[in-house]
Amino acid sequence: MFGIFAPALFLLFQQAERTRLGEMWENIQHPNLSRFLFIGALLFIIGVAGVLTRRNIIVIFMSIELIMNAANLNFIAFSRYLQSTGSANALAGQVFAVFIIVVAAAEAAIGLGIVIALYRNKETILLDEIDLLKW
Amino acid sequence: MILSGWESVFFWIFAIAAIFAGLLTVMARNTVHSALFLISTLVSVAALFILQGAEFIAGVQILVYVGGVMVLFLFVIMLVNVGAEERGDPMIFNKPKQVAASLIFCLLLVLGMLTGLQKGAIGLASLNKSESAVDLKAKSDEGLAKAATGTTRITNDTQQMGGMLYRYGSLPFEVASILLLVAIIGSVMLARTIKQEAAVDDLAPEVLQEEIQREPELTKVAVIEEAGS
Repeated sequence: MFGIFAPALFLLFQQAERTRLGEMWENIQHPNLSRFLFIGALLFIIGVAGVLTRRNIIVIFMSIELIMNAANLNFIAFSRYLQSTGSANALAGQVFAVFIIVVAAAEAAIGLGIVIALYRNKETILLDEIDLLKW
Repeated sequence: MILSGWESVFFWIFAIAAIFAGLLTVMARNTVHSALFLISTLVSVAALFILQGAEFIAGVQILVYVGGVMVLFLFVIMLVNVGAEERGDPMIFNKPKQVAASLIFCLLLVLGMLTGLQKGAIGLASLNKSESAVDLKAKSDEGLAKAATGTTRITNDTQQMGGMLYRYGSLPFEVASILLLVAIIGSVMLARTIKQEAAVDDLAPEVLQEEIQREPELTKVAVIEEAGS
């Protein structure tokens, strides 16, 4: 009984595999909106991992910049998608990206000022040695 | 929005470059190396912006981030990182338990993203079936002036972007300028030395007395009020 069905199942699986692979190849050949979102999400996750695991406060700042860039990538991708649908407000995403860059620049200036002041007082930039508020 | 041909080749090159450089930013032992890898991530992301037709944002990204913010980062690394370099600290990550917990959290984020792509693929698929980028570009470029070579057209992305920014975002634009002013003043105030603070008489008297006991040099610059006079 199974002997009859096995080749049929095999063929079916092969067909399914081929179509899935074809789909994958199609996705690789023609990146679309979701690919851009995927890259943005990966950059965001790398940034979160950096913020949570590193000890050096400057590297943590850099990870925050990475997170903001991921958000920018998503904004630009959706802006481009809305342009392709012919929406009137399609460029709002790019305006948002400009404001994110402004806020990132302000944040970097203030944050690095704090790092310098902290280094002057505590002689360290490792986060686990800065425990003024511990108890 | 579907890329094709060379656009997709460049998309994959810059996407993979951005992700690998991002990973190396987080994992590099030397802080200066991290900063350089972050610069290459930012440049790759700027290239992705260009692929999506946002030339102005790509330019701003390179000018502001790579030219401004990262130079600031490198200066601060130069000022601050000396001690850690000399001590040769072997630990660049937190304690193993903390690292494990945060990696589990990131794994959950990855799983959420993958399920989102799988389940949301039905919704996203309809979004993705828009026209290909090449046709779209040709259609939207019809009215634009030709460039010097005659094969390409001069983009008006920056012009549209400026119109959008000043028509609909003029109030946030002004608020952003105030934010930048506050950031400038704040960072100058934060980065002052105790000597500079003493020189402009900006310290509390008790703090000043303590500091003078530690550092007699300060009496030269500090404005000390005599108690009797």
